[in-house]
Amino acid sequence: MLQSTLSNYLILSAVLFTIGVVGVVVRKNAIIVFMCIELMLNAVNISFVAFSRQVGNLDGQIAVFFVMVVAAAEASVGLAIIISVFRAIKSVTTSDSSELKW
Amino acid sequence: MSFVFTILAISAVLSAIGVITSRTPVYSALWLVLNLFLVASLYAVMDAHFLAASQIIVYAGAIMVLVLFVIMLLGLVGVAPKFSPFVTVVSLVAGVGFVAVLTPLFIEFARSSNEIGVTGDVKSVGRLLFTTYLYPFEAASFLIIGAIVGAFALAKKRRT
Repeated sequence: MLQSTLSNYLILSAVLFTIGVVGVVVRKNAIIVFMCIELMLNAVNISFVAFSRQVGNLDGQIAVFFVMVVAAAEASVGLAIIISVFRAIKSVTTSDSSELKW
Repeated sequence: MSFVFTILAISAVLSAIGVITSRTPVYSALWLVLNLFLVASLYAVMDAHFLAASQIIVYAGAIMVLVLFVIMLLGLVGVAPKFSPFVTVVSLVAGVGFVAVLTPLFIEFARSSNEIGVTGDVKSVGRLLFTTYLYPFEAASFLIIGAIVGAFALAKKRRT
């Protein structure tokens, strides 16, 4: 019974990850792209916890803890970058910042 | 137990689809907050109680608030939503129904949990964090300090 539950969680994690990837590729708003990156991180966290439950120790949950820490740090720095780019070119569309130097 | 998982999984997938197909960034952020709450519920169903709480506190409570602050600060609000009593009533009914369906299931699950493996309660996770994973824990605190300083340096107004 536990085996089928594990595969259910992995399928859910894969579906959420795919939705995140589609969002990153399709959407042009930098903030929505950032939110889809957070979706991908959450999908990976789900599979971490599912595997940790399968194996029987808590190492996967520690990994999720550190993924959350890294996601929080990445959120603050990434949003600061988006704010800086917006101050320079007055837009958050990712295709508007396509030149390295102008 | 699999009924709870089915509801949570389908809702998580639907809210993720809502994130990528919303018209304005504010709607996407709110769909993502719903998705984070559902993923926290999935952690709780998988006996990872500490992670469920920290997911709500850190992800939904700090990161998404930061994203919404940035959206409001940059003025990307988009179309102002019109008040609709139909939407209000439907969302209230859906919220109450969701809680009413899940609460007895969670209570029964908490009573019959811990059948396999270990639970991710605060004591076990904390013991692991401070013994086996002490070095990454301290390195993570350096990472956070670096991120704070970096965000400050990037987002402050330049004087020229």
